[in-house]
Amino acid sequence: MINKVERSRKQHTAYVMKRKAKRVIFYFFLTLVALLYIYPVFLMVINSFKPFKEILTNVLALPVNFTFDNFTYVIKKMDYFNLFWNNVTITTIGILGILVISSMAAYILDRRKTKYTKLIHSIIIIPMLIPFQTIMITLLKEMSILGLSGSKVGLGIQYWGFGASMATFIYYNFMKSIPGEIDESAMMDGATTFTTYSRIIFPILKPVTATVAVLDVMWIWNDFLLPLLMVNGSMKSKTLVLAAYNFVGFLNTKWHYALAAMVVAVLPSIIFFIFLQKYIVDGVVTASVKG
Amino acid sequence: MRRNNKSAISQNALKETLLFTLPALICVIIVIYIPFVMAGYYSLTEWNGISKTPIFIGLENFKTIFSSGSPEFLNAIAFTGKYTMLFVVFTNIFALGIAVALSKKFRLANFLRGMFFVPYIMSMIIVGFIWKFIFTQGFEKLYEFTGWNIWALSWLGDDKLAFWSVLFVGVWQSLGFYIVLYIAGLKSVSTEVLEAASIDGATGSQCFFRVTLPLLGPSITTCIFMAVTNSLKVFDIIQALTKGGPGGSTYSATLDIYREAFQNNRYGLGSAKALVYFVLVLILTQLVLKIFERRDVDL
Repeated sequence: MINKVERSRKQHTAYVMKRKAKRVIFYFFLTLVALLYIYPVFLMVINSFKPFKEILTNVLALPVNFTFDNFTYVIKKMDYFNLFWNNVTITTIGILGILVISSMAAYILDRRKTKYTKLIHSIIIIPMLIPFQTIMITLLKEMSILGLSGSKVGLGIQYWGFGASMATFIYYNFMKSIPGEIDESAMMDGATTFTTYSRIIFPILKPVTATVAVLDVMWIWNDFLLPLLMVNGSMKSKTLVLAAYNFVGFLNTKWHYALAAMVVAVLPSIIFFIFLQKYIVDGVVTASVKG
Repeated sequence: MRRNNKSAISQNALKETLLFTLPALICVIIVIYIPFVMAGYYSLTEWNGISKTPIFIGLENFKTIFSSGSPEFLNAIAFTGKYTMLFVVFTNIFALGIAVALSKKFRLANFLRGMFFVPYIMSMIIVGFIWKFIFTQGFEKLYEFTGWNIWALSWLGDDKLAFWSVLFVGVWQSLGFYIVLYIAGLKSVSTEVLEAASIDGATGSQCFFRVTLPLLGPSITTCIFMAVTNSLKVFDIIQALTKGGPGGSTYSATLDIYREAFQNNRYGLGSAKALVYFVLVLILTQLVLKIFERRDVDL
């Protein structure tokens, strides 16, 4: 009897051990896949620290002759800090505008439901169905007439229109969950519609604002086609990605400089991601699931 | 008197509504609707983008698009269609598989998820360049090491292989996005239902295919829809990797529209192509929504 119990206990531990081993192997394998997955990014980084000759002879291993020369050359040649500043300017103008115009529109569209608001709502939302490439040709023509092409401010302002649909949509979905009593009581106390929006509603919308901001920063910061069309000619308003594109294309096979340029171009995004990973991932999920 | 007051209030309300929505309306109208209408007009003209007066030529541009004499656009659409189909299949299968593995509770899960997500936060142009580097320099070295022929193939220089390279890089870049969406979906599948299933004797794979997968319906719909809309727009990656080459074999619809307008300076024809592209995208995305909307299951 005791023997039997002993035996089944042994069997059980063996079973548990086997499961554990299986799990360890599984996680080991998964980690290996993940490492292999970002190995290309790692390759870009390590090779950017190698002199040209070493890239040709030794791509896969860590640098033997570690050098910063590629970076000093590239940062100077690209005028990196200026480009970085351009990106910050364009992204900031774009984001601030999108957040303000979209939250305002979503607030009133949810609170005043008439046939007019329905129409306005559709007009703002429908552009989500229109691919950018459909309108890009004539957009360039129109923007040069309006004087909005070729400058940082002009480019930033254009993002207001391109970002408003999605942002209004996300804000609008969230507005539904804010009880109307909150703004009604503010109105009773004599607040105007605008102060109700700016003092009460906008602060409550904060989590959505964070979502929209994070998503739109990633989008505007990395956007390629709109800057390619609008500011490619002017050195002063080039974005980081656009400059990296031109620079790498121009360098052709001088990979040591090209790789360093690529690294400095993606570095801000990577840092942004490392610090805000949780918000970015949550934002992506919220926006897509609601959308 | 009373009536007057009421209409004054509603008029005031209308004014306020307009005031709050006008900024968004104006922005959207300027950057989307006006160019859209302009595209409609220019598609009926011959216009090189510089001359002040485009020549009205009726539906000539649309005839050109569908005539057999110039197959570029139709080829580009075929490329985009093939790309979209395979992109949707591959991203969803791989993302779901990895998401299932990552949704198990273990310490490294968040870290590994982050690693899959890194390519998604990088600019697609840079992603394209990274792979251009690997396809050329990296593969050469790997061939020297292993002697396997797979590394010696011209992944960007051969017109058949270039398609697969572009597709591969496209999937690699965005997989993390779909993984994150699927993980969120898997978290919402209640463990009670799964436990009940396994108590009733369902095996692991039965649990997955019979319980988890049907309950993931909404996530799958979202991911497929996103994958379709994103892959139909493919542009940046190709621009960085192949620029449409070799021999025009990797021209996507968007790249072809771009080339027609800004390289060939045929803005009228480009606008016409852009409109045809718009109609195709609209039909396809609505079709996808229709097909998958009904698949959502209720418990």
